[in-house]
Amino acid sequence: MNFEALQKAWQSQDAGAKVTIDADVLLKEVRRKQRQFRATIFWRDVREVGVALLSVPLWIYLGREMHRHWTWYLAIPAFLWIAGFMLADRIRQQRRQPKPGDTLRECIESSLTQVNHQIWLLKNVFWWYLLPIAAALGISICYSTWHARHSGFPVIIVAVISALVVALVYCGVYWLNQFAVRKYLEPRRQKLKTLLSGLNENSH
Amino acid sequence: MTAQEQETLFRRWLNEHLGLMLKVVRGCAMAPQDQDDLLQDILLQIWSSIPSFRGEAKETTWIYRVAFNTALAWRRGEQRRRKRHETFLKLDTSPQVQPSHVDSLPEQEIVEQLYTAIRQLPKADASLALMHLDGLSYQEMAEVLGISENYIGVKLNRIRKQLADQLKGVTDEL
Repeated sequence: MNFEALQKAWQSQDAGAKVTIDADVLLKEVRRKQRQFRATIFWRDVREVGVALLSVPLWIYLGREMHRHWTWYLAIPAFLWIAGFMLADRIRQQRRQPKPGDTLRECIESSLTQVNHQIWLLKNVFWWYLLPIAAALGISICYSTWHARHSGFPVIIVAVISALVVALVYCGVYWLNQFAVRKYLEPRRQKLKTLLSGLNENSH
Repeated sequence: MTAQEQETLFRRWLNEHLGLMLKVVRGCAMAPQDQDDLLQDILLQIWSSIPSFRGEAKETTWIYRVAFNTALAWRRGEQRRRKRHETFLKLDTSPQVQPSHVDSLPEQEIVEQLYTAIRQLPKADASLALMHLDGLSYQEMAEVLGISENYIGVKLNRIRKQLADQLKGVTDEL
């Protein structure tokens, strides 16, 4: 059998023959899914940026309640920086989303750009997320310890334990981010690169 | 574009191009549940894409682009959100072949084997194979994929060989 005969057999299939669609219910479902998708994106942004923003009043409240000194409030600019960074990043990335009518090549290229950016973001999570808060907390712990140094050895123990707890939490967060890169993003990037090279004339 | 116009166009595309969408679905997913999920995703993306459709591309080119792009991003099992689904389609995607001129094997079996072979190709090649079998011109395929017509020819030669290897016994002179 030659290719034309195969093509003829292929084109003689009536792929839609056994599909019955209730168009009204389908439209309703499609609209519902679109709303659901938008809501998911909106709430994801609210959650990520909102947590950083909500930490500000909470931090102020705790500082007042516990009569903390000024170094306690150094974390506030760190929270604001994180919220601002995430918001700006989201807005910037939304503009780079693949558009529905893009060619397959354009779609792969923009998906690859997005995955590369995600990898960059997670690999550098220490610099833009962990370090600002760690620095603020570190200064606060050192300052408190220095001022209470006359109270003796227990103060130093408390400071060391606090620093260790913070460091442990930070290691966990950092490890989780790197795990996500290795487990999900790197394979996805590799897959997209392979797909793109399949469409790249120069690579053949 | 008004909501009414969007709905009218969507219904028309559904009537005229559902077969095309189903071929993409079958070429990319094997299990019925996966096919159902992918089809729903493609329908959703087509609905969302309608406001951006300016008529510069042919309707089939546009639908192929949206369908392939959705299939590219789709991952098996990820979209299982069945609990709240309303049943809007009854899907039995096994191809119904109208009897015609090809002898030796029943056509339905040939088509089944073609689908199996296509699913084993890399996604970009599978897209090309589906369009080629559907009889699209080199220019149309180039518009969907975003590569030159010359390169389409090069790729199709390779894909034909790959399909021929996988369909040994079914075809003898691809």
